[in-house]
Amino acid sequence: MECNEVMHALILFIDNEIQDEIQVQIFQSHFEECLQCLTEMEHERQVLTRMKSLLADECCEQAPEDLQARIAQQTALLAAQMFSPTQIITEYRRTETTFNGETHIEIETTHEIRRDFPLS
Amino acid sequence: MDTSRELEATGGSIATGELVHVDREKESVAQRTARFERDAMQYTSQLYAAALRYTKNPDDAQDLVQDTYAKAFTSFHQFEPGTNLKAWLYRILTTTFINTYRKDQRRPLISDGEVEDWQLAASASHTSDQGKSAEDEVLENLPDGEVKRALQEIPEEFRLAVFYADVEGYSYKEIADILGIPSGTVMSRLHRGRKLLRTMLMDYAKERGIGGSNGM
Repeated sequence: MECNEVMHALILFIDNEIQDEIQVQIFQSHFEECLQCLTEMEHERQVLTRMKSLLADECCEQAPEDLQARIAQQTALLAAQMFSPTQIITEYRRTETTFNGETHIEIETTHEIRRDFPLS
Repeated sequence: MDTSRELEATGGSIATGELVHVDREKESVAQRTARFERDAMQYTSQLYAAALRYTKNPDDAQDLVQDTYAKAFTSFHQFEPGTNLKAWLYRILTTTFINTYRKDQRRPLISDGEVEDWQLAASASHTSDQGKSAEDEVLENLPDGEVKRALQEIPEEFRLAVFYADVEGYSYKEIADILGIPSGTVMSRLHRGRKLLRTMLMDYAKERGIGGSNGM
């Protein structure tokens, strides 16, 4: 494996996205032989670890309490609507067409399910 | 960072307390509501943190989370118990965001050349030792909030890939499912997003004289 191939696929190696064990070993044996690529990989890995920890510390905003309350209220409302009675309306339509002595009869059925679904 | 968050970040493991064996056919509305409250409500803060990455402002983020929970509850019978509930909620968050918050400002998606583009951007090279230690020094000395500020400034598609990979710890495949894009696109966005983030932080440090001891 050449250095530039290693560098191209470095992100996959660092993110543990290489599924094939043999491929992983090819990378590892390259790192054993090539100090430059090893240094690069270790630096990238270290930077990524640091970035991840900074990001995790800073991007963990707590949901405001009133948001939680609004969601709970919304869930209760939606659940109540699911309990609400439903009405099924069935319609039949019969169409008879006679043309040149031939008669076609078409029967169409529609079922409509009606339920109150206000969203606020 | 608490440990439960850290544990979850290592993969799509199922949070403790989620009911795994549920007969959804026989479940009543009341039972489903109870299961939803018990299993899904524990993620409001994580969904809110994610929503802030999408909308960039707290009011819209709250609306987005609330709408996400409405959609999630009405389609909760479609959720397969025992699979990753948080990722399922993130998927709904994404579609809700696309359908409601981005409707008016349609913009072209990233060109098809995206994958080739990242390969060019990655133009295989080794950075100098001096560059490496300068970067280490900058990352050790950044003021609080600087990384978050930089993340909020990079383009949305890169920001979301970085958030799901580096904050939530999801794999490319899981991110692909959440964002509804191919895994290859996840990789290119992640690669470019991280690069942009690092460039911005280095530029910021240069302006403030952080990491200057390495001749920056």
